[in-house]
Amino acid sequence: MKDLLQHADEIPVTLVVALAYATVAILTGSIGLNFADSEKLFAWGSLAPMDAPLQPWRLLSYAFVHANLVHLVFNLSFLLNIGPALERSMGSLKFLALYVVAAIGSGVAVCLLYEVPQPVVGGSGALFGMMGALVAWNMHSGRHLFAFLEFEGPRRLMSMIVANLVIGFLIPFVSNTGHIGGLITGFAVTFLFLTPVRRGIRSRRPWQIAIAALFASLTFACIVPVWRWDWLYEQGLNETGARRQSIERAVARSISGDQLGEQIDPELAHLYYQQVGGLLETLRKRRGG
Amino acid sequence: MPEVGAPAEGPRVPVPLPAGQRLALLLIWLVAAVPPALWLVSRSDPDLAVQLVHRGTVWVTRLALGAGAVLALAALLFPPVPAWLRLRWNELRLSLTSDRGPLLRAMGELEHFASAQRHYEVGRLALLRREFSLALPHLQAALEMEPDMAAAHHHLGLAMFRHGQLGVAAAAFARAEELDPGHAFGDALLYLGRCLDLADHHQQAVEVLRKHQARHGGGHRSHYWLGLALLAAGDAHGAADAFAVAAAPPAQKITAEENWFRALARVRRWRGGAS
Repeated sequence: MKDLLQHADEIPVTLVVALAYATVAILTGSIGLNFADSEKLFAWGSLAPMDAPLQPWRLLSYAFVHANLVHLVFNLSFLLNIGPALERSMGSLKFLALYVVAAIGSGVAVCLLYEVPQPVVGGSGALFGMMGALVAWNMHSGRHLFAFLEFEGPRRLMSMIVANLVIGFLIPFVSNTGHIGGLITGFAVTFLFLTPVRRGIRSRRPWQIAIAALFASLTFACIVPVWRWDWLYEQGLNETGARRQSIERAVARSISGDQLGEQIDPELAHLYYQQVGGLLETLRKRRGG
Repeated sequence: MPEVGAPAEGPRVPVPLPAGQRLALLLIWLVAAVPPALWLVSRSDPDLAVQLVHRGTVWVTRLALGAGAVLALAALLFPPVPAWLRLRWNELRLSLTSDRGPLLRAMGELEHFASAQRHYEVGRLALLRREFSLALPHLQAALEMEPDMAAAHHHLGLAMFRHGQLGVAAAAFARAEELDPGHAFGDALLYLGRCLDLADHHQQAVEVLRKHQARHGGGHRSHYWLGLALLAAGDAHGAADAFAVAAAPPAQKITAEENWFRALARVRRWRGGAS
């Protein structure tokens, strides 16, 4: 087992991820300047919050799919720029874990905070996770947490993160929600799990357990979004009686943003429920699901 | 000079979590408990779960906005924030108002005749413009041609210090000080002390920084760094005294960098010199 792990730690994960980007881009036809066909992107793993409850694997798959050539080249160059150095310093297996967890963290942020039908693609959330990892690595190597800010390289890294986030806010079709989710996840997972333990430092175990529980809980919330009309609608399909009425009220409240008051008329709630069904069907047809 | 970069020896001692961290952990657990709890509520009454989420979102948003406003106000009154803004503004102003002309001229002169002094000049100007990849080879070339050039050692030390290469930086500062005692008004000695402190050689750092202060007086920065070194060496009283001197109001206008260290020292004083 130890030998196997040692061999696995020699796989150049950055290169494998880069090849995966390129392969999926060819398969989805994302190698032109125009955006690729949304049906193909959906077939290869794009993530919209409404898809996560039924197909949770999309929380990871979207991080290998890109929208067009510019998107692909930008992320590929970013990956090849910071990936190899980070992989060398932490080891391939840890780097792989970082990429996967940061991609899922980014997907979780998208599912919790983005519009329900809006699909996202791209590895940038995971790449932001790598930047978060670099910050954590630097913080961990100083005498105190912010000692690294005395040095030029880490200060440039911070500037790069801020610049990328500002660019994300300025360009309308960039999901900064996912970027920030990936950044925070990459930082947390590296700071608590991937950096070596320092002498005399307080035990990280309580933090590790708490953050792992939080991550699991938020992922659970993506798969079981009890407050969202799309998930509630699916739940109501097989229900009858009082529970069905409660679900219809919940759907009406959810899609109206709680504007219908304390008591919702059952007929009005039923009407909302029917309309939500039609809306979901239209959204799925348009996106090819 | 001790070997810089060697890890401090000693057994691993688990330290109990302070109250603030325990509170933060409790909050994380509470947040983590929300989705499963909502799911349980939703199993019996889906409408109630949606109502809870909506009301919770409203309250959390209000709390976050309120806390954000209070934090923003507090940050502006917190000494390091205005000092940091002044420091960054100063850097931005310098970068916008200085061109690359002198550096290009120095590089042009180097093409006609390469001397240690000219290599050093290119390295110095490049370092001023934070062009480290250009500065380093020229400073190294200057030292290859003239190994006893104190100024080149000092600038090499500065470049390495900014890159976090503390061992090389400390050696360069030590050599600069050895070749030209009091070089750059004691800057080499001051940075040597800081390098030693950052590399966990606190006692040596204290000695070097005290020597610097005895020879060159001491600004806010040197007293602040001395305070940090004393604190790390276990002398809390000495550290408090050093922070008090570093935090004292200046008699005349000080540079943005000195102001930054004064602001940090003021915070240390409020915290009673604690780490």
